[in-house]
Amino acid sequence: MRCTDACVYPFPLGDSSVRRMAQEAGELGLDSIVAVGARGCIFRGVEVVGGTVIQGRDQGEVQAALRRMGKDPGVVMATAGDYALNRALLHMGRVRILRGIHATPGNSFDHILARMAAERQVAVDLDISVLVSGRDYTRQRALQRYADLVRLQSRFGFLLTLSSGARSILGMKSPRDMVALCGLFGLDEDDVEGAFLGIAKVLRPEKSVEVVE
Amino acid sequence: MRPRPPTMRGKRRYILARLDPPSVAFNGRDLYYAIAESLTSLYGDSGMAFIQPSVVSCAEGYAIIRCTRSSEGRVVAGLAAVHQVQEVSVAVRSIRTSGTMRSLRRHLAGMRSRAPCGEHDAYFQGRSWTAVQYPGAKVDLFEKGFKNQQPLFLTEEDLEE
Repeated sequence: MRCTDACVYPFPLGDSSVRRMAQEAGELGLDSIVAVGARGCIFRGVEVVGGTVIQGRDQGEVQAALRRMGKDPGVVMATAGDYALNRALLHMGRVRILRGIHATPGNSFDHILARMAAERQVAVDLDISVLVSGRDYTRQRALQRYADLVRLQSRFGFLLTLSSGARSILGMKSPRDMVALCGLFGLDEDDVEGAFLGIAKVLRPEKSVEVVE
Repeated sequence: MRPRPPTMRGKRRYILARLDPPSVAFNGRDLYYAIAESLTSLYGDSGMAFIQPSVVSCAEGYAIIRCTRSSEGRVVAGLAAVHQVQEVSVAVRSIRTSGTMRSLRRHLAGMRSRAPCGEHDAYFQGRSWTAVQYPGAKVDLFEKGFKNQQPLFLTEEDLEE
């Protein structure tokens, strides 16, 4: 998993089947995708990892959603909110990725939460679809927030993931396109490669003690 | 008027882009307007004036876009941000950048055809569709009786299930 799209929405959430999305990902140069609502499999050499996105206004709603989840939810992602919610999400062991930070208030993810995310190995997702479909103020705000996240990431070293947020194969992006779009908010090519590895690190977190035989 | 000598001309770069979905017939002028709108919204009028983009070729699902040298990175970002042409959802995927059109055309000649390889009726999710097959076991479904609708993008395995 060297090059992963961290969030796509296959049919019925979008207009493309998970197989077609996996095939398209392979043609674009990706080797894995996280598909919301899909089961893990390998299709034409592309690894599909299942994923679940949780959206809640407060901690209680998120915990209720976590309790309702099935046995194999895949990678659990939660939509970020205000500061208190983000702090609570980072403390929940099952949430592996924070999504949608661009749409939250400016002070909802600061240096304290950045350090906490690094310690708990919770990744922060950069959704590229906002830069593609958004215009004017929406896109400017997303670029500002992403640039701020990149600054915090370089200081505290928490995990970043990159996602196209695609609901169709037309919304999926190649690594070349991702590098170009990430350049808009100051993420250089090496950092983009690191962010592509984010999902692999989320799935296999570093342990404090590891036995090497 | 004598043409300007080659050493006095501005250097250009050419970008080969794949246009998806292949079922949409792209018009070079419409594609230019979509790219210009995308680049203007990303980099503003001064950036657009510096980039000087133009669509020099647009046929068979591929386009060649010209820009000034050192602005090719911006154009790739601008192409990635194009998501509609004439209100039809599309994707413009940059494949390769070169200093000459000849090398891009040579590269294009080695790429496989994207023409549909068959069409048949299909039944999916309780509805009737027209299925257009493409190389690589890809199938695009168009619902019968609806004009200008977005297709479903599936594979042959999805239809067999």
